Amino acid sequence: MSILRPFKASDMFKFNNINLDIWTETYGIGFYLSYLSRWPDLCCVQEAPSGRMMGYGASSISIRCLHMTVSHHFRKPPVIGKAEGSGAEWHGHVTALTVAPEYRRLSLARKMMGLLEMVSDEIYKGFFVDLYVRCANHVAIDMYEGLGYSVYRRVREYYGSMGIGKGGRDEEDAFDMRKPLSRDPNRRSVRANGRDMVVSAHDVS
Amino acid sequence: MSAALDRQIRPIYDALDTSSNKSAIVACNKLLKKHPKNELIKALKALALVRSQKVEESLILCDEVLDMKPTNDAVLTAMMHVLRGLGRHKDMVLMFEEAYKQQPNNEELGAQTFFANIRAGQWKSAQQIATRMYKQFQEDRYLYWSVISAVLQANDITTPSSMRTLLYKLAHRLTTSSPTPSYQNTDRFHLHLSILRELELYGDAHKLLDSDVGKAICATSLSCNELRRDIWRLRGLSKEEGELAEARIVDKKDRNWLEFLSVLDATFSYLAPSPDPESSSSAQANCSAHVTRSQELFQRIAEEDGQADRSGLLALLELEKRVRSHGLSTDPERLVKLMQQYFEKIGDKACCFEDLKPYLELEENDLAQWTSYSESVSPSFTTNNELRRLINSHKLLRYNLSSSELTVEAEIARVALYIQQYLEGLKLGAHLPSTELQIADDLALLAGSVLVNLWKLTSEEQYLLNAVTLLEFAITKSKQSFQTRLLLIRIYRLLGAPSLALDHYRAMGIKQVQHDTLSHFLLSRASTFSLASTGDLTFITECLESTQIYLSNSQETADFIVRAFTSEKYSQIPEFIAFEDRLDNSLQRDIVKVEHLRMRIAHEPITSDIIDMELIELKFIFDRTHHDNRDFDIIANYQPRALDSINTQTLLFGRKEGLGWLSTFLKLYIRAFQQGSDLDDTVEEKLLIGDRPKQTVDPENHVPLRERLLQRIDEELTELTPEELLFIDYARALADWLEPYHDYTRPPPSVVLAEAAKQTELKTGYPLKGVDLQALNGLTNGHGKKDEEPPAVTEPPELVVKYFDNVKTRFSGVRGSSSPVQALHVATLAQEALLLFTVETLRFKSASVVKVNKLGALVASFKTIRSNAIAVLREISADLVKQSEAEGTADKRKAFVDGCTIVINTDIDHDFALNTAKKVTDARKKVLEGVGKGVGRVCTAYAH
Repeated sequence: MSILRPFKASDMFKFNNINLDIWTETYGIGFYLSYLSRWPDLCCVQEAPSGRMMGYGASSISIRCLHMTVSHHFRKPPVIGKAEGSGAEWHGHVTALTVAPEYRRLSLARKMMGLLEMVSDEIYKGFFVDLYVRCANHVAIDMYEGLGYSVYRRVREYYGSMGIGKGGRDEEDAFDMRKPLSRDPNRRSVRANGRDMVVSAHDVS
Repeated sequence: MSAALDRQIRPIYDALDTSSNKSAIVACNKLLKKHPKNELIKALKALALVRSQKVEESLILCDEVLDMKPTNDAVLTAMMHVLRGLGRHKDMVLMFEEAYKQQPNNEELGAQTFFANIRAGQWKSAQQIATRMYKQFQEDRYLYWSVISAVLQANDITTPSSMRTLLYKLAHRLTTSSPTPSYQNTDRFHLHLSILRELELYGDAHKLLDSDVGKAICATSLSCNELRRDIWRLRGLSKEEGELAEARIVDKKDRNWLEFLSVLDATFSYLAPSPDPESSSSAQANCSAHVTRSQELFQRIAEEDGQADRSGLLALLELEKRVRSHGLSTDPERLVKLMQQYFEKIGDKACCFEDLKPYLELEENDLAQWTSYSESVSPSFTTNNELRRLINSHKLLRYNLSSSELTVEAEIARVALYIQQYLEGLKLGAHLPSTELQIADDLALLAGSVLVNLWKLTSEEQYLLNAVTLLEFAITKSKQSFQTRLLLIRIYRLLGAPSLALDHYRAMGIKQVQHDTLSHFLLSRASTFSLASTGDLTFITECLESTQIYLSNSQETADFIVRAFTSEKYSQIPEFIAFEDRLDNSLQRDIVKVEHLRMRIAHEPITSDIIDMELIELKFIFDRTHHDNRDFDIIANYQPRALDSINTQTLLFGRKEGLGWLSTFLKLYIRAFQQGSDLDDTVEEKLLIGDRPKQTVDPENHVPLRERLLQRIDEELTELTPEELLFIDYARALADWLEPYHDYTRPPPSVVLAEAAKQTELKTGYPLKGVDLQALNGLTNGHGKKDEEPPAVTEPPELVVKYFDNVKTRFSGVRGSSSPVQALHVATLAQEALLLFTVETLRFKSASVVKVNKLGALVASFKTIRSNAIAVLREISADLVKQSEAEGTADKRKAFVDGCTIVINTDIDHDFALNTAKKVTDARKKVLEGVGKGVGRVCTAYAH
């Protein structure tokens, strides 16, 4: 039970309970405004009936994968989306998806992803939606697989500078996960052996 | 431009890009020798100059380029940055208008002229330009630019309300004149609908929305659907909306809570107030029937969804609550039963307490039944879910405790229970990585809240010491718990240990816009803890850092507004503008400004330069319409509803400063600086560069500034502490007393301007722009001779004379109490009073001024006041230093640990408490010593 509504610029005054969490980065106002000024329909908020923000997400639309500066949420990557790519590469990209700690385990991420996929499909006519997730983030990977995403490739040292921590390579490498949309009925945008396809971070930027 | 010159100019751009302004200037100078008339080089030099703070020189070049009426794209772009740097948005508009006039077929110039108007907030001219562009270039987008400009003008605070409808009608007419329908573009459609809603043309809006295209848009666009919902409601179509919502819930499995609210609204839509009793009884019957239907619907959804979604369960609760409020309830026990059902299904989710909060205000039987149910939750837990359930039951129970249940004994028993369960609960999360939150954290927060309440009940500091020890322990177990840190910050401030509050504040990694919403945790009344007088600039730096966001806002946000125009995202434009305004006119911004000023004058020598600069800035601030963006809800509140919230309980000095506090301090300092300054309005007008703030239509602001400064508004004063009130009264009496002497002695504007011009020329080698010295010379001849006699010297008012004696008494009343904050409060305000006295008497330092104006007797009375003030302050200083020596000792640490009996046990051991004790007493020592010595320094600096 939550309200799904558009993300507005003034939500930046309200998102502290989400952004004070360690895995959610607070960017300069330009980050949020640039998404809102291009893909406002891909930016959404989940709000409790009390008016407290529970989570937010955004995507973008484009041709090639833009270089990502976003550090993903460890458990659930943050949802801000964009539309990317041309021809069969035209797709939606989930940039930020995040849920406040007290509202986890309520399927909020699932609902926001649903919206972002729907808009990427129906409005932007993308072929697929993709997102990046830390290879060590099993909770998130399981969730995305449950939503119909599959690993397309492994991007080496995508989360670069952290160095090899407890989790080894899985901490710094990312899976590029994809889900085909209705324009790709033959599922050309995904493949079965994605986990074995390794590329370097330079190849995707 | 030749290719050769182009090549030579490249490096200037590179230098500017890397902020090497000096080398940019050098490169410009070299090129200007060969091309003395080149406007691009001049513009780039002006930019480098303005970025090196050489405003006067930049102004001259800037005006030279403007006089050449540039049309070249590169020059215009460079000049755009120059003018922005100088705050001259209106001149930017003129520059582009001029260029566009010269090249009326240049579409890009037209767009730039439009944007310049948008940046300057000149909606009306923007609208006219867009209309012209539409006629000329026949692009639909320009028509919509003019539409949204009209809407923005209508919404502007400077637009009288009578104009609003007219402007919306204009916007409507323009929209309907479009050759293509608005629904071809979601954002145009959104704009169109919002205009129809404003004009109450619901029928037209309905027709658009009910079309196939309209429906398709609403199905994919949250923002259009939001508008549609609103229009349906305004049209009184809640029944239809309810049916639509039901279909979405059932067929599309939509679980947006807004759909459930629509069903609920529809359910009770029969009960509109009606004078006819008969129709009202049939309305009730209809409503009851609908209630049954909605109940079945929600029940079905709840069963289908199970634990996967809370919507059905919560909708049942909300339905019952509304049924009760309309007196239609048939089963008095149903509400509590539903609450129990909710708890059983959702009790293991962290949000359960917050979900149930709106239904918790129960009475009598309901309350008893609910309480005994909540108490029956098993206190044992072996899984995370059980632990969450237990925590929820504690929160729910605590919320409903009555004052008779909140005795000291009962609260102590609760703390003990929470702490025991907390330590037990930590075991469940022992394996968690350090980046994860402990589920048990909430038990520590609950215990912390009880301890704060015990402190409120008894005024005994030991409870706060127990709280910080427990919470410091909790943070070692759950490093990312920002809630724990927020509570610690508040308590450390209450305890007079500001450096520890600062450590936790910094650990939270506050960034960007969060500075606006959260810096109040650190900077509210921070001058009480500032050691700026000893040269320690920690808090001054925090103030400056927190204000960076306002700079980024003024530099960046307008660019995104322009982008939203380019990409035609009309739904975002008013939002961006409102955001920019809220941040620009943020209350917190200016509260920090005032705190910064109070710290600054304790650090920097008080000179007429500081007085003049601060005066101008404060006057700008005073005319703002402020927005309060501070986030107070962020700190989790687990106090019973019968008590104040944890936020209120932990405010420093128990007072929250807001608009009233800000306005009172602004009035005080503006008045003092006005008296101390030689700048009157005419001088200021000449010396100031850049645009002035927009004036609102608020009639309040048309009262002359002088009168507004004198207003004493009781409502504002409630935000002040008693000590601050005394200070305010002192300041007022001081200003009233000295006003006639200042007014008599202040040199006439012409003299001030001539002096300013002389100084500028000496400093920069250029004359002051816009000031005609020749004309001034004629006026300055009469200098020194006045027609009137100087005002008679009067005795200083009682409030001023007695202020410092009064302070002395008050200080001895609070010194030695367990927390040093009150003593620090009295001391820092007394220091501020001396600084204010210095501001007010600076003018009379000059012997010649005193002699010429025959004010010898006045100056003599200053001496008495000052020497008394300094005597009192020196005593306070010595006392604080003495107190600091007693802090940080083994005795103090032992006393601290001895008081921590509640939290010390096997897990939180004696050594841990001792460590916390050391931190707290050391922090107190530091602030007492620093403020004490600082007061001494200020005394020495202003002894004469």
